[in-house]
Amino acid sequence: MPTLTIDGRTVSVPEGKTILEAAEAAGVRVPHFCWHRALGALGACRLCAVTVLDGPQKGVRMACLTPVQEGMRVSTLDESSWNMRRSVIEWLMANHPHDCPVCDEGGECQLQDMTVAGNHAVRRQRGRKRTFHNQDLGPFIEHEMNRCIACYRCVRTYRDYCGGDDFGVLGSRDRVYFGRFRPGRLLSPFSGNLVDVCPTGTLTDKTSRFRARPWDLEEASSVCPHCALGCAVIPGGRYRELLRVRADPRPQPNDGFLCDRGRFGYGYANRADRPRQARLEGRPGTLAEAVAALRERVEGIARQHGPEAVLLLGSARATVEANALLSLWARRLGAADPVFDLAARRDGAARIFARAAPALRATLADVRQADLTLVCGADPLAEGPLLALALRQAARRGAAVRVIDPRPVPLVCEAERLPLAPTLVPEALRFLAGGNGAGLSQEVLQPLAETKRLFDAARRPVVIGSAEGLGPDGVRALLALVAGASRPDRDAKAALLLPGPSSFACARLASAVPNAQDLRRRLGGGKIRAVVALEVDPLAEAPPAVTGVIEKAELFAALDYLPTATVGRANLFLPSAGPYEQDGAFCDFAGRLRAFARVLRPGTPILHTGKGNHPPRTFSPDVPGGDAAPAWEILAEILGISGGLSGARAEIEKAFSFLQGLAGLRADARDERVLPGGEPPAPPGAPAGPEPAGLRLLLSDPFVGWEPLSAHAAVLEVLRPEDAVYLNPAELARLGLAPGARARVEAQELSEIRVARAADLPPGLAWVVRRRGSALSRLPAGEVFACRVAREEGA
Amino acid sequence: MDVLDEKTLSELAARVRAYPYPREMVVDVLRAIQERRGWVSDEGVELAAQLLRISPLEVEEVATFYDKIYRRPVGRKVIHLCDSVCCFSRGGEDILKHLEKRLQITLGQTTPDGMFTLLPTCCLGACGQAPAMSVNLRLYGHLTPEAVDRILEEERREVSP
Repeated sequence: MPTLTIDGRTVSVPEGKTILEAAEAAGVRVPHFCWHRALGALGACRLCAVTVLDGPQKGVRMACLTPVQEGMRVSTLDESSWNMRRSVIEWLMANHPHDCPVCDEGGECQLQDMTVAGNHAVRRQRGRKRTFHNQDLGPFIEHEMNRCIACYRCVRTYRDYCGGDDFGVLGSRDRVYFGRFRPGRLLSPFSGNLVDVCPTGTLTDKTSRFRARPWDLEEASSVCPHCALGCAVIPGGRYRELLRVRADPRPQPNDGFLCDRGRFGYGYANRADRPRQARLEGRPGTLAEAVAALRERVEGIARQHGPEAVLLLGSARATVEANALLSLWARRLGAADPVFDLAARRDGAARIFARAAPALRATLADVRQADLTLVCGADPLAEGPLLALALRQAARRGAAVRVIDPRPVPLVCEAERLPLAPTLVPEALRFLAGGNGAGLSQEVLQPLAETKRLFDAARRPVVIGSAEGLGPDGVRALLALVAGASRPDRDAKAALLLPGPSSFACARLASAVPNAQDLRRRLGGGKIRAVVALEVDPLAEAPPAVTGVIEKAELFAALDYLPTATVGRANLFLPSAGPYEQDGAFCDFAGRLRAFARVLRPGTPILHTGKGNHPPRTFSPDVPGGDAAPAWEILAEILGISGGLSGARAEIEKAFSFLQGLAGLRADARDERVLPGGEPPAPPGAPAGPEPAGLRLLLSDPFVGWEPLSAHAAVLEVLRPEDAVYLNPAELARLGLAPGARARVEAQELSEIRVARAADLPPGLAWVVRRRGSALSRLPAGEVFACRVAREEGA
Repeated sequence: MDVLDEKTLSELAARVRAYPYPREMVVDVLRAIQERRGWVSDEGVELAAQLLRISPLEVEEVATFYDKIYRRPVGRKVIHLCDSVCCFSRGGEDILKHLEKRLQITLGQTTPDGMFTLLPTCCLGACGQAPAMSVNLRLYGHLTPEAVDRILEEERREVSP
């Protein structure tokens, strides 16, 4: 570890680090544009000039390109490098517009900061400025090329880090242009990162353009609620309106990057049709009335008809606290545990994984550092997009990526895929763990044997599955594979993609009784009279057998902040606060509790109350539409727990020992607590029935269109996939369907019309990507159903 | 296909199949396309991308980087006059003024008869013969106004005898 001094401060950094990194470690800030922690050094901007006073090459050096040496003495304050930096800033400003007041970046612009820091107040350059035409880059990113200083951060992010191929560098000399071949939407699902990495106003967030200056934004350290990965985000809002989401620049867990679903999917919070007032039997009321009614009616039904008449539905998108308090309420009522996930197979898989040893559970950092990754029965881009980005980073470091899946799973890196029927994926995992591969054909076993050789040789392999793709049997095989492969010199880990930001904690809160399966029995018994849906939309997510019972319940209560079908039908509605409108905690896919802080108080945005003008001049102590309260607060009130969030967390810690540490979490410090492992639930009594003969239907989730929050964000509509049914070409021909033809798909007494498309699928499989509101999408993902696909005649 | 004739297209496709990294052929493909019409159209970029199995943007990056790949229509002959330091110090700017006067066009323009396009270039590798220019792929050094007049005359005659 070489030791050097920078501006008189002594620092030791590992061999191979640069002066810039050593300076960061020593707490000395070296100005820079092109250097970026995650993207590395380029030497394009020439701003990080420092003076090497003692060392192999004395004089002005680029800090980002110069490796440290033992005994080096570096100054950032020396006149020669100070003058150089000052000049570089002036040169960069020669062609830059002098119009910060009308630039959306103003106030958080590195070039603006540097210009001020460089003590530049007067433009000396008198010549004409070079100008460019801008491109329309789609609904997310605004392009203003005249502001570009050619730091190349955008291309390095878009192409190298994120794997996009439709944005790049054009031209040469002083006419270097960053853009697309033709104007049009940036196609990468990670395009929004351009906003964060661009140090000037060249690439800005179009969805929040000119809505607020950064110093007017209310911001807080938060956790992304759009999947189970728990990316660190910093949302910002103003005038009761959520305006933007940016990535937390800290390296963990998401390396400072976000997917477009997490970044641009915030529109659900501001919708004009968002339910903001409590409703009792169709009559508007106050939240306090509704809370009292909810407690009285649920307790009344439990007293009168027994606790088994109460069905509580928890959810993956509610906070850990709300779900835990719901469990506590069930206990107090003597009722069965809440059902946290209506899809039995996914629920069973999650509950097994949530009890795995913490050392076996991979984080995003583990995936980025892996030397071999297997993706089995999972679609990372849809179910946890940043995981696909982490896979790319592993691949860039040389890791092989192997996919075992029936679907042509899209990734943002090179991958080799072994197409396998869904039911055979667990068997493939057992084969990798040393099993005999019973049931697998010879042409599958051969490539699988090669994958096994790679796996056995890897030192840091990570195997990725998804709860809905693998099911309980597959998750057992997944955990057995990595547990069996871990040795002192070898770190094998598993990651399981789960449906929402609290899924892991919900799966842990669920008792050993497979409650989603038990639900069918309970629903069949005809005993259920009260249903409470906590931020979940069973009417859109469950098959008719379940929804029929729910709709007929004497009490159908819903807590939510989305205008869902369930909210529309509920006879008791309580407006709850959205994830960015409360303090709380989520639990990521690796079982780490992560706290987030409130960004905004709930309330109707002034944009809506003022209809684009000044808001009404009526005076009242209440915030318009501000009745909503965090779900945990509503449930704490029902349970008689006082003391706000800390009071609720203390009660939760007492009731659920595995949630110890919840009360001490701090959002701004990005604290996390790892949930301990536990006793795995017993295998389900009845084995899965025989596979249906004939054509089988497989459902899976898209990047945008199913996840409930972003499905309610209008700006993301463009990313919603076509309503298609995919079959392999031979199957299409057999059914007499031409690609593009209209086809009726029927399964489990549900049916809808979709566009027939060819895809590289195993024979006998029809694949449908879900969309919120579509009939077939009420069937649980991952399970296979017998189905019929036929040509639909007529228009 | 107007961008490439069938024969060249199939020859290039055969070479693509033989290359482990077809993207390395991007300049060759662009040159072949330029050979036919004198410049590379948007359709030409898209055809190259299709042929090399890369995105049109990746082709465009190369096409716009090199100043001898033309992305707009040019005259029958393209004059590249070096404006780098050696040619500059040996009177390159006077040669430019002379060319502009003779051809009645400025840098970036094409003569009304479609004969010459005048462009700058940053180096022709002919510093020893500064000031230098090229006309299509032919290099001319030690330029003087008189030499330029003679060269223009000869180049013009070559096209229309």
